[in-house]
Amino acid sequence: MKKILFSLLASAGLLLLITRGGWLLAGEGFLFNGSLPAVTVPVDNLQTDAKIKLGRQLYFDKRLSADNTVSCATCHVPETGWANHAATDTGIKGQVGGRNSGSIINAAYMKVQFWDGRAATLEEQAVGPIQNPIEMGETLENVVKKLNAIPGYKAQFQQIFGTDATADAIGKAIAAFERTVVSGPSAYDRYRQGDPEAMTPAAVRGMDIFNGKGHCTPCHSGPAFSDGGYHNLGVGFEKGKYKDEGRYAVTKSRKDMGAFKTPGLRNTAQTYPYLHDGSEKTLEAVIELYNRGGVPNPHLDPLMLPLNLTKTEKTDLVAFLNSLNGPVPEIKEPELPN
Amino acid sequence: MSFIRGNKMKKILSGYIPAAAGCLVLLATASMPAGAVPVFARKYGFSCTMCHSNYPRLNDFGTRYRRNGYRLPGRENDEKTILQSPPPVALRTSAGYNYYRAVNSAAPAVRQFQLNGLDLLSAGRISPDAGYMFVYTPVLTASRGVAAQDGVLEMASVVFNDLGSSWFNVRAGRFEPAYAALSPKRQLAVSPYEIYDFTFPGGLALSQTQSGVEVTGYGRNGTSYAAGWVNGSDTGNASQAAADVYARVEKVFGEGEGQTAGQRIGLMGYSGSAVPDVTLPAAASKTFRRAGIDASLNYRHLNLAMQYISGTDNKALWGKSSDVNFSGGLAEVSYLPATGLVCFARYDVVDTPRSVNMDISKWTLGGRYYPADNIALHPEYSYKKQKSSAGDITENFFTARLDYAF
Repeated sequence: MKKILFSLLASAGLLLLITRGGWLLAGEGFLFNGSLPAVTVPVDNLQTDAKIKLGRQLYFDKRLSADNTVSCATCHVPETGWANHAATDTGIKGQVGGRNSGSIINAAYMKVQFWDGRAATLEEQAVGPIQNPIEMGETLENVVKKLNAIPGYKAQFQQIFGTDATADAIGKAIAAFERTVVSGPSAYDRYRQGDPEAMTPAAVRGMDIFNGKGHCTPCHSGPAFSDGGYHNLGVGFEKGKYKDEGRYAVTKSRKDMGAFKTPGLRNTAQTYPYLHDGSEKTLEAVIELYNRGGVPNPHLDPLMLPLNLTKTEKTDLVAFLNSLNGPVPEIKEPELPN
Repeated sequence: MSFIRGNKMKKILSGYIPAAAGCLVLLATASMPAGAVPVFARKYGFSCTMCHSNYPRLNDFGTRYRRNGYRLPGRENDEKTILQSPPPVALRTSAGYNYYRAVNSAAPAVRQFQLNGLDLLSAGRISPDAGYMFVYTPVLTASRGVAAQDGVLEMASVVFNDLGSSWFNVRAGRFEPAYAALSPKRQLAVSPYEIYDFTFPGGLALSQTQSGVEVTGYGRNGTSYAAGWVNGSDTGNASQAAADVYARVEKVFGEGEGQTAGQRIGLMGYSGSAVPDVTLPAAASKTFRRAGIDASLNYRHLNLAMQYISGTDNKALWGKSSDVNFSGGLAEVSYLPATGLVCFARYDVVDTPRSVNMDISKWTLGGRYYPADNIALHPEYSYKKQKSSAGDITENFFTARLDYAF
């Protein structure tokens, strides 16, 4: 009798322990994909309307490129999900790059920038493409000279930063603008907040697959659906060689060979094609790649495994990804200073 | 209702109740393997299907997670210990209708709704370097509506991973040894794997957990090994030295771990010793050996799992005049026709020498439907036939139960 009583009491105690607090609800673990929090702003680059306006002008200004033909908006087009529907970018003089232009929607939430994470901040990222010989092919020194020769820009830099245009200020202004390109509440967010009608039944099923059999959450975790880490899916590995070394080019660590940053998934339905080389045109194709377990290669991420998803499960997963679309500020090309 | 009094009552009590209790214990222990651990799902915010193809059976991801000492592969540095995450406890039980009828056996019939055991589980990372698994089944006394269960510490082990490389991991304590290619603790069916349970009287069942130490290693090319040193035979003789050793090697072809993807083959060997009778001194120990080959083949949503084991036991362990050689195995097909549904069919066979005369053949058919990740509706039927000196024993077992973990 004592044993039975002990067992019952122990069980009751454990039940109490389990059920206290709200974390019993599925999806509240430390890889929980919640709603987007407020954007974190660096203390040395606080948001102001004037700075955001300047950043917006710079973002659309092709004069930041060597031959005045390419701006940030050339590849990160607002109308196409702040990305580009071409597989890889085309820069000055028709030069074609090797990587897909990732969307800047919610870039403010990324721990690092670029597919290989070579920029630690948005400020650092913002001036990267200007100097890339394939993309904008300009030097920061020249860009600074050009902008200071334009009274409309010079006055704004003086007003905002108290100096003429500098490389640092250019980066800060563009970054401040990019921090405004964030997605609003999606159907998924509304569902999480208690509206059971916000997501379709297929999307709800897809959410469960995303969080379970699809093995998506270990990497696509957090409010922006990115762990900020680097993973090798084997994309671009052919005949024993990597077309793109990915993160390895930055760290020179063998474990990073062929690994690329996990992109966020909010509004991903609008930002096709996918993957670092834009090699997959649709979400269905990307899911098929994952369903196969990626492309076998010596550095394939251990999280990559064949999934055995059914046709319905794949469709449901796409429905869930579509439920992550949220409204993004409609921003038109501004009038540029002369 | 009739009442039985006096000596007749005592006779029935002394004869049938132990048999009934034994039968119910068998039912209960067979029906409640350790299985799924919802604490992991809660820790990360995952669904159960992250690690289980159909809980309690692990999928390839779950297998990789377990091998990695309860850490997400490739994300070891992000892990949280049990002190940084929700309390790592979970429960599992099942309840439903059981039908059992044996012919030529003293085991009584069962035709009842029953609660089939209870598992208390705890698992996670104790520190960045070590994970643990703890499973306890509390005592449940047989009564109408409750199947009996022994109070057993099923598992209490610590695992240290990547000690220098992935080729050297150590698991110590009481754990599920790697020699059983098809986990008896995470199998789909209630009906046990006969070849894992077949042994000399009082001897080691391969389906049991073991106390000892196990070393494992995993390569990126699908090759892995395990070797262990464990107490072994459960004859209850405390003076007997831990002298059982085993080894297993396996190779997976293709991506996956052979659970739901990839094609896995494996070889195992076990060498142990046991005393024929608990009253005998440890020096009277006699040897027994097992050797096995197994495969788990996957095609789309179909899995074919096979296990063949050959055993050689010293004659004294069986009380026979010559050593006993037996063999047997199983073949199980499972198919996932739709999300949340799995069907399975299995054939078990054990072939014994004429001196033992305990040949077994068993068919099992069943399925599991998951209305939610952690709830399964489980119908199953099995028909078992076993030879005995008093004539063939046949058993019909049917269950329709709700299996849940939280």
